[in-house]
Amino acid sequence: MQKLKLDHTLISFLPILVFLPITYQIINDFHIGGLELFLDFVKAAFTPKINNQIINISITRLNETLFIAFTSWLISIIFGCFLGILSSDIFYKLIRIPVLIKYLLRFILNIIRSIHELVWCLILMQIFGINISIGILAICLPFIAINAKVISEQLELVSADLIESITTLNGNNFSSLITLIWSPIIKTIKNFGFYRLECSIRSTAILGLFGIGGIGTSIFLSFQALNFNEMWTYIFSISSLILFFKLILKQVKIQRINSNFILLIICISILITFYSIYFLINLLINNYYLSNLLLSKNIFLNFINLPDNYLKSIFDTITLSIFSSGIAISVPPFLLLISQNKYFIITLRFFAFIIRIIPPTIIILILLMFNEPSLSLAAITLGFYNAGITFKLLNDNLSEIDRNNYLAFKSIGLSNRSSWLIGLFIKQSKSYLSYCAYRSDIIFRETAIVSIVGSIGLGWQLKESLSSFAWNEVFIIIFSYSSIAIIGELLNDKIKSKLI
Amino acid sequence: MKSLIELNNISFEYNNNKILKNINLEIKEGEKIALIGKSGAGKTTLISILNGTKRQTYGDIKIYGKNFNNLYNSQKRKIGTIWQDLRLIDDLSAEQNVNCGLLSNQNLIFTFKNLLNISSFHKAHKCMELCQLNSRIYSKNLKNISGGQKQRIAISRSIIQEPEILFADEPFNNLDPKLCDYLKNLFISRLNNYKIKFPNTILFSLHKIELIDGFTRVIGLKNGEISLDISKR
Repeated sequence: MQKLKLDHTLISFLPILVFLPITYQIINDFHIGGLELFLDFVKAAFTPKINNQIINISITRLNETLFIAFTSWLISIIFGCFLGILSSDIFYKLIRIPVLIKYLLRFILNIIRSIHELVWCLILMQIFGINISIGILAICLPFIAINAKVISEQLELVSADLIESITTLNGNNFSSLITLIWSPIIKTIKNFGFYRLECSIRSTAILGLFGIGGIGTSIFLSFQALNFNEMWTYIFSISSLILFFKLILKQVKIQRINSNFILLIICISILITFYSIYFLINLLINNYYLSNLLLSKNIFLNFINLPDNYLKSIFDTITLSIFSSGIAISVPPFLLLISQNKYFIITLRFFAFIIRIIPPTIIILILLMFNEPSLSLAAITLGFYNAGITFKLLNDNLSEIDRNNYLAFKSIGLSNRSSWLIGLFIKQSKSYLSYCAYRSDIIFRETAIVSIVGSIGLGWQLKESLSSFAWNEVFIIIFSYSSIAIIGELLNDKIKSKLI
Repeated sequence: MKSLIELNNISFEYNNNKILKNINLEIKEGEKIALIGKSGAGKTTLISILNGTKRQTYGDIKIYGKNFNNLYNSQKRKIGTIWQDLRLIDDLSAEQNVNCGLLSNQNLIFTFKNLLNISSFHKAHKCMELCQLNSRIYSKNLKNISGGQKQRIAISRSIIQEPEILFADEPFNNLDPKLCDYLKNLFISRLNNYKIKFPNTILFSLHKIELIDGFTRVIGLKNGEISLDISKR
């Protein structure tokens, strides 16, 4: 008997099987208690509230959102570059300091990166209280670590031959280092930096739902007051902001950056660096609660007093991220396989955009109108939110590749679906899966967002422990989050290296 | 003439393959050496050992009477290399790449100025002019220029460094015969109108036998061993 051979195309569709347990649970937990409310919510999308007061609030809140997002983006780029250089191999090839620093730094950055900005935000809010600067700090922490990783990965691509060639010029070691890393850093900021700004805006909106300020706070307050018309106005205004940014970035094609502009950026970066360090030291020194907390005994990793249902929470979190990843991977190719009709794809694109814009916390609250809180509900929320992102990537990539094969298969009488599958998708499946492996790392971190509201997993446990100031439990949960994320990332790296 | 470089029983092994076998060589100040041999004879490896980027498996090498690791930075700066694969920075302009040759004599501020494109390119332009590069390509990104032009940019980068010793691995690749002759004579005669100090001692690996004309010494490599060593003086 012939063995079943799983290829990349099949693996892209296979995760659709997660819908079997999910659908079973969703059907079992279904109720129509919130139907009227849901209809109001849908109707409100077509009649957003527009008056002077709402417009003024929107503008003020968007300004706040932009301020938080832009400041955290700028700080995370500056510190990300600096730490990315410090954690790259090339730095230690040219500057003679112990390599141990690199490993230590990478370890710390991995831990910081593995924890979602929302988790950072909740912890920091508990210690320092609610204010905008805490929101900025919460976004900056994981974003700095993410940027540092990207920068250091790009610097690893500098060829050994080029390093050899510049070092044989026997200049000052710092001069050689800067000459070698300059172009890869500028290129990374140009290609990746602006995308991070969009991520920063999205994160600001999510943190806003937890009270940090900006448009997210208004969305959540109007949702809580069941003022859906107002809520849609805010959602449309943040959507317009993101679209506006995308439009500008599409128009601005930077060919050569003006040197005076770079000089100005360097000066601003130095000022921001010093101010950020001053701000952080000030924040840490002047907080009595933090100093008392750090001085108190047995708050760090005391595994004797585990939180209730600790192991179940870990299991739920891992299952949630597997289910969500399954949805995010399989739904986009499945939908595109159904039909290649132009209008169908435009509709899908519109829904993918909307689902990316509405914060997952709101989506899960809407779904709770029909269902009991459950793992499946959280998985659907997180899965479809990420499917919006994977759909965009897949659709963009498919529209860029050569369609000759697709047309050739169609011309020999194959159906549209078969032609799409073997003429188009097959070419993209490998790189699509490779991106999905990376996306599943992010999905694991994002489980915190839905699990806090959806009453499952480590996120919920964290919220409970924070509410009761059980810092020992908080540390255990953070430790667990971080460990699972790092193990998951190592596994995904292996998958990616096999795929590429 | 003073002895500058001494190689005693130099061998180099890679993956159990002997690339160089017991090389004994003395290079004196002012010598213009052509290193010839077929592909795989060990020319590139010998140059890499001479400029200190590869370490010999056996044997001893002395430059200015010292082991490479014991050389002062000021002595290391007197050694220049033109690589076979050029090793230029693709994202920088031609003049920025040439200015990189000045890294050895300049400070960190110069590096920033060069990368920000606000440093003086006067000397770089002189060197590029000397290599018959058209002024239109000075500010062009390397991605947009031809192989022959890149070759001359690499040569300009080594000239601007004003080294005393220059090792070059097939420096005249991608160039037409007229340009090959012109540049070779420039290195051999060291005469120019731009007051640029050319290296006094050179060792060029060459793939075309007709280019050896003018060199004071010809060394042939065959299967990692010196098969020929003729001094013309």
